[in-house]
Amino acid sequence: MKRKTHLRMTSAVALVSAVALTLAGCGRGDETGGARGASTGIDDTTITLGVTTPLSGTTAGPGTCTVAGLQAYFGAVNAAGGVEFGDGKTRKVEIEALDDAYDPQKAKANYDQLKGSVFAMTAGLGTPTNRAYRDAANSDQVPQVLVMTGDPIFSDTDESPYQLGFVPTYVNEGEAFGELLAASGEDHTVAILSQNDDYGEGYVEGFKRAIEGADNITIAKELTYEATDTSVDAQITQLAESDADVIFNAMSITPLAIASLQKAQQLNWEPSWFLPSNTSSPGAILEPGKASAFPGVYSVSFAKAPQSPAFAEDEDVQTFLSDLQEYGDYQDPPAFPHCMWSYMAGATLEKAFQEMTEPTRDDFMEALRGITDFTAPLMLEGTSVTTSESGQPAVSTVVVQKYNGTGYDTVEDFG
Amino acid sequence: MSRLTEISSLPWVRWTAGAVVAVVLLVLPLVSSEYANQNLARIGVFAVAVLGLNVVMGYTGQVSLGQIFFVGAGAYVTGYGANEGWNIGLVLLASILLPGVVGLLVALAAARLGGLAIAMVTIALPIVGVPLAKRLSDVTGGSQGLSSSFSNAPAWTGLFNDQWQLYLVLVIGGATFLLTRNLVRGKYGRAFAIVKANEAVAASMGISPYRYKVLAFTVASLIGGVSGFLYMAVIQFTSPETMTFGHSVTLLASMVIGGAGSIVGSMLGGAYYVLVPQWTNAIDPNMTELLQGALLLLTLFLLPGGLVSLPRAIARRLRRNRRSGGTGHHETPSARPAPGRDGVEETATDGGIPTERQEQV
Repeated sequence: MKRKTHLRMTSAVALVSAVALTLAGCGRGDETGGARGASTGIDDTTITLGVTTPLSGTTAGPGTCTVAGLQAYFGAVNAAGGVEFGDGKTRKVEIEALDDAYDPQKAKANYDQLKGSVFAMTAGLGTPTNRAYRDAANSDQVPQVLVMTGDPIFSDTDESPYQLGFVPTYVNEGEAFGELLAASGEDHTVAILSQNDDYGEGYVEGFKRAIEGADNITIAKELTYEATDTSVDAQITQLAESDADVIFNAMSITPLAIASLQKAQQLNWEPSWFLPSNTSSPGAILEPGKASAFPGVYSVSFAKAPQSPAFAEDEDVQTFLSDLQEYGDYQDPPAFPHCMWSYMAGATLEKAFQEMTEPTRDDFMEALRGITDFTAPLMLEGTSVTTSESGQPAVSTVVVQKYNGTGYDTVEDFG
Repeated sequence: MSRLTEISSLPWVRWTAGAVVAVVLLVLPLVSSEYANQNLARIGVFAVAVLGLNVVMGYTGQVSLGQIFFVGAGAYVTGYGANEGWNIGLVLLASILLPGVVGLLVALAAARLGGLAIAMVTIALPIVGVPLAKRLSDVTGGSQGLSSSFSNAPAWTGLFNDQWQLYLVLVIGGATFLLTRNLVRGKYGRAFAIVKANEAVAASMGISPYRYKVLAFTVASLIGGVSGFLYMAVIQFTSPETMTFGHSVTLLASMVIGGAGSIVGSMLGGAYYVLVPQWTNAIDPNMTELLQGALLLLTLFLLPGGLVSLPRAIARRLRRNRRSGGTGHHETPSARPAPGRDGVEETATDGGIPTERQEQV
């Protein structure tokens, strides 16, 4: 009896092993396959792009915009027939977007899911989420391009051969403020408040680099706050004591930005403000913060703001808004600049597609890195897409704008 | 039902089943697709995290909302150690011990408080953890996070990275599951169950509720550290966002959905944590949270005991149907056995006595 049992067990194990080994033999096929050496996600009629971005949770607003802008652009292009690639074929562009809820782990999972079916990853929002699959994308040689993060690592060609950031780095933005102030020729004292992380440090680094050697600018006081702080009243009060005439507020938290504008007014401190592009929305921050009380509120931008009366009649803006409604499934005027940014990223991708002579990822990366001085729709005068500069994102130039009570106007001089 | 139990209790059946499972686990990584392997590995990571939570919550009845902190701490220690070039065994040890020490210190203070006060203390962990990870940027990489590829397959194995990582998860996670199973089924498990049921009774029996609460909490944080090590091995990246409070709540929901106080339930919880966001993404990426909430409510209404109680619920339904069919077989529904006695809980009972024993009688 016992020997029989033993025999049965052995044969069961042997059977399972045999089946398993047979399966193992045919388990991993040649995954790159495809017609005539074409990369994954592209054939003669379509190309598929993947997006992982926050579509739920606290960053869902801007995240939804990154998908809507891209869909708006390629929706219109597809409706007009598709993109004519450099190899002579016309292809439709399909977008597969997944929600990562700003969780790096989910972003990596989404990438793992998408990489078998998409040609390239693009337009995803968030530094940690994009970093979570950067190494994997490099070793799989999957392009991860025109992503929405100001983290400079994505624009470093040595570290990130298959990546390219789209939006200006924090340093780029800080620099633009510094240059404007240094060029004013007048004496200014500056108070700096910055978020104690790479975001705040990048801004301050850029600003300081630009005012280096400018005798007319003195930094009166420099303070930081934590991204998790719920109030910066103490910092604003301390900075007000310095009586600086300019405050450089490198802040990424919307409620804190409003609160700091209000606190300064309570203290009867009326400096000019420099605000980063993502905390300078007229409707969401400046109006509740009653920013008209200050002599000037400056921000930087490279996209035309659809809400601004100056661009109400603009052809680009009107096409953009109707595309966004028709193809982007986004009914209201966009509340976040990310809608415009990913629309421009779409145009930049199309430009690269037109230069591609072979349907491969490597050829695409080469074409993408060869764009200079391309003015994508919605771009402000003085800004452009240049991808050939190592260490710089696709858009590295910004123009400084001044708040006019309803929107922003581009300014040449401070004051 | 009783015949099935009878068969499954035969030693040769058990041995064969064990061998088959072992062979399947050994071969599975070789035959499945890269994506399936990655998904299985991720499920393993979070199954271990849920298992830790189960020790303190499911078995000992103490609400903990801080489990993700230990996972994150384990991941950071692993990432730091691996990038510094430490021996990988040492890294594993450190990634378990450091969260364990933190867990012990927190538990020594928190377990003095009764009931939900412990939950309030544990909420603090992820809330402190995120800014802490941002501030200690020399060690943690700040808000840009930390990546490490120590878990890439060594050349001598000839394996793909995903296969190697899944083996790591199967071996380390499997060992953790085995150890935990032995813990909760032995003397300590019974003590945990009594502490959960009634602290006064426990004290009257010479079981110090304080000591066992501290023990359970420390074990949970040790297991959290293991999960953190595996997190780094599989995802190869961590950032302060890993530790956000929301993930702790999702872990808790996964534990309840999988089945509180159950080893198999922990695995199901891990699967829930990983797969449900993917399913909801497939349905509509713009409504993931809404769909997840709906699914959570649905499970709690239909299966209050979690997914692990599904076979039992079906069996009960079948039995009821058979009875209404008029077989006249007399059965009284059995009371839920004490937690920690899964061996009994998961076998079919007749009149409250496991059928296999009845036959012995």
